[in-house]
Amino acid sequence: MKGYRKYFGKKILWFVITFIIAVILNFVLPRLMPADPVAAITGKLASGLTDASAVQEIYKRYEEEFGTNKSMIEQFFIFCGNAIKGDFGTSFSQYPRKVSDIIGSAIGWTVALQLPAILVGWLLGNILGAVAAYMKKGFDKVLLPVSLFMSNVPAFGMAVILLVVFGVTLKWSPIAGGYAYDMIPNMSWKFIASVIEHYQLPFWSIVLVSIGGQAVGMRSMSIYELNADYVKYARFLGIKDRKIVGYVFRNAMLPQVTGLALSIGTMIGGALVAEIIFSYPGLGSTMYAAVTAADYPLISATTLIITIMVLLATFLLDIIYGFIDPRVKAAQVD
Amino acid sequence: MKKKTLALLLALVMALSLLAGCGNKNDTPAPTPDTPPADTQTPDTPDEPTEPAEPAPSETTPGGDLPRTETLYFAGQQWGTVNSWSPIGSNQNNAMAVTGKAAGSRTLMFETLYMYNPLDGSLTGLLADGDYQWNADQTEMTVKIKPAAKWSDGTPVTANDVKRTFDIGVQVGNGTGTGFGAYIEEIVAQDDSTVVIKAAKNDAGQAKNPLKILDFLSATLIAQAAWIDTMAARNNNDSVSILNDAGDDVVWSGPYTKYYSDDQKVVLIRDDNYWGQDASMWGKLPVPKYIAHTIYADNPAGENALKAGEVDVCQQFIGNIQDLWLKDGLPISTFYQEAPYGMCLTMPTAWYNMNIPVLAENPALRKAIAMAVDYDSIIANAMTNQSPSFADVPRSLMNPTDGEQALYNHDAVKDLQWVGNDIEGAKALLDEAGLVDSDGDGIREWNGEKISLNACCPNGWTDWQASMEIVAAAGEKIGVEITTSFPEWSIYQTVFTQPGQTEYQIFMYSPEAATPSNPWQRANQFLGKEYVGVENNWSGNWGQYVNEEADELILKIPTTTDTNELKDIYTKLVEIYLTEVPSFSLMYRPDQFHAVNESVWTNFPSADDGRNIPPMMCTDGYGIAALYDLELVG
Repeated sequence: MKGYRKYFGKKILWFVITFIIAVILNFVLPRLMPADPVAAITGKLASGLTDASAVQEIYKRYEEEFGTNKSMIEQFFIFCGNAIKGDFGTSFSQYPRKVSDIIGSAIGWTVALQLPAILVGWLLGNILGAVAAYMKKGFDKVLLPVSLFMSNVPAFGMAVILLVVFGVTLKWSPIAGGYAYDMIPNMSWKFIASVIEHYQLPFWSIVLVSIGGQAVGMRSMSIYELNADYVKYARFLGIKDRKIVGYVFRNAMLPQVTGLALSIGTMIGGALVAEIIFSYPGLGSTMYAAVTAADYPLISATTLIITIMVLLATFLLDIIYGFIDPRVKAAQVD
Repeated sequence: MKKKTLALLLALVMALSLLAGCGNKNDTPAPTPDTPPADTQTPDTPDEPTEPAEPAPSETTPGGDLPRTETLYFAGQQWGTVNSWSPIGSNQNNAMAVTGKAAGSRTLMFETLYMYNPLDGSLTGLLADGDYQWNADQTEMTVKIKPAAKWSDGTPVTANDVKRTFDIGVQVGNGTGTGFGAYIEEIVAQDDSTVVIKAAKNDAGQAKNPLKILDFLSATLIAQAAWIDTMAARNNNDSVSILNDAGDDVVWSGPYTKYYSDDQKVVLIRDDNYWGQDASMWGKLPVPKYIAHTIYADNPAGENALKAGEVDVCQQFIGNIQDLWLKDGLPISTFYQEAPYGMCLTMPTAWYNMNIPVLAENPALRKAIAMAVDYDSIIANAMTNQSPSFADVPRSLMNPTDGEQALYNHDAVKDLQWVGNDIEGAKALLDEAGLVDSDGDGIREWNGEKISLNACCPNGWTDWQASMEIVAAAGEKIGVEITTSFPEWSIYQTVFTQPGQTEYQIFMYSPEAATPSNPWQRANQFLGKEYVGVENNWSGNWGQYVNEEADELILKIPTTTDTNELKDIYTKLVEIYLTEVPSFSLMYRPDQFHAVNESVWTNFPSADDGRNIPPMMCTDGYGIAALYDLELVG
């Protein structure tokens, strides 16, 4: 038990340090962009104004309100103080909306799209990879090139292909939005059906790409494990094939679990392509818009969410590893 | 067994996350399942325009379908989520309900005194009754309010509402205050129906700029004084709070009001008690019951929706738009049957940065580059011919409308104009000015240094980027090195609005398109000294060009009433502009235009229908008249 305590203690310490550095970078990096978002807000309001001094007044007012006239260090401590209270400030690009409000309304869509897509892609990919490794021959000969192909299609390419084929040409699926253009959200079966219908293309554009990569990885790991000494030894001992396959896949699975945890951690960034191409609501497109508009508060908040998710995912993974595979813990403690 | 559990878990996660997605977009109170469909709620309500009525539309609970045959769908206006419904605020990001601009405000929910029509430059009364009256020296304007005009709470629209709208604007510094505060001294409510607008005066005792008062008439969305008082009181009269007020309880005077909005769409519903059905205004209600705008991620998404018939009226620039009906056979049309299809009122312009000595000191270089540019290629490629050529409409300070074109003497400046792609002429001009290539590297020199410039515009503005590439190509042909650079808009707008910047040497931005105060305002933007040296300059003269003579002429325009004198001033200004070339326009871009899909609605305005309704989305300025004439197909 002392071993575990030391292991976890060390882990937590490192995660806290990483977190602090990440928060600083999340704050500083967007602000190093050579853009002035206050000028952008001023511009929106001032276009068409003929009185030049009026524009100056608007600029000064926003500068004051956003505190961009204060020093970076001062701004950082204000940011941290507010962030602890869950207040990430006001968005520049969607002024005067609160960052927390923007994130709150977008995150549900991203999680609803990404989490099932990642899980389904991961599960199907691993099953296919494992089956290919086990069955070899015909199945493997078809699956491997197809998987390699799929895993190399960039996410936006897959999304555009699906959009053109199923949305524009065959008209099987709607091409934009989270629900039908002529509906207003309500708890009816028709509306739910509409949401599910709009869900299909973005969902499969993510699943199809991830299946390929997962299948290729799982297949290689499984082949490696199938040829390991312990498998041969088990066969000599006359252990049933079924049992052996169980051991093999459990071992082959370890790196795949890492992959899963990381893709869940980075799902917001991953959502970007599908969300933009299908005009699907969510945090990915919000983050993209924030970056192009140099919207510091929104960028900092979304990247902070990603940071926390990745840290949590890897932290949980480390803990789980410590339990599933004592070798990992032992190596770390040493 | 384990797999079964996992599959079950997965299904549960999917179902839960789906529900999470649905649940998140209800900004408005969640409708209950037994809410009757929206379309059954009010269509049969008898119209009782004479009786003050409760604001019924906001009481309805949105939910269910928007009946296609009662809804007019838009694209190209609303990007991102609506922030506020207050006409007094700023940054409402509420394109359909709160868009105030001199070129034609959107009067669906709030109304202006007058509606601007760029087709003939006229102002038609909306809340105002009859024409406005100037006093003899143009320092006071009197506007009458229509007796029939009512707010949604049934109270009459009064002169005091106009006064209060202006006063609060000045107090909090919103668009109305900052835009007109310098030109209007005060607004007086002489009686309930008489508004007197007193112009701010210059040292000579003349109105500073009577043209800006005309802009006020068509730009300012009037809010109810009583509501402004309530709203200001709940914000403790604090300017920033007032500007950011969500305006959920706002009182409106227009034919539509808010119905539903979320991250994906905004819907307005017709107010069947709208005062405008009085015989003194429209005499009827607008035809569509709902006005809906889906929030698309980008232009292509909106364009796809237009093609699919999910959008009726689209104001997005669509390259080769004629292909939609000629090749694809879609029931899509534009205001003009032939190119340029829309009203080309705006002039995207390349500005020379006068902080760069070689540009500041060599008018010949400025003119030579402008002469060498192949404008026909810009118009054919970047604009897919949706712009008149510079042979059709010779360059000046004016947009292509007949009204503006008539304001200068064409023959007097004929020899100064150029149509482009004149490489030999440009080379001769440079040689004459002593800007020659003496070291044989193909690039001309000035003061011993080769002439090397950059040409910039924001990344992703593809027609502008193509234009800048063509400018660079022109430079190469005449021995001037021009490289292109396309920074992100967020950076671009920070740099080009700074007076001392030297980063962008030839850069693009558009002057004002068409408003009652143009072409004065555009002339001021091209040649006026007012904006030189101004930090965060969004107003004009981004190249920092100074010409005292031009400046004096510009100052004269607003108070000049004699048309011949005015024509002489404008002609002189055009002459200076074409001689000095502080900037050069690259195209005449459509500013008021729309593409309509007539699979559900028809009878949209077109150039030859004799109705004189401009292509302004059926919502802006006098363009809103179209909403009253729409018909269902079949």
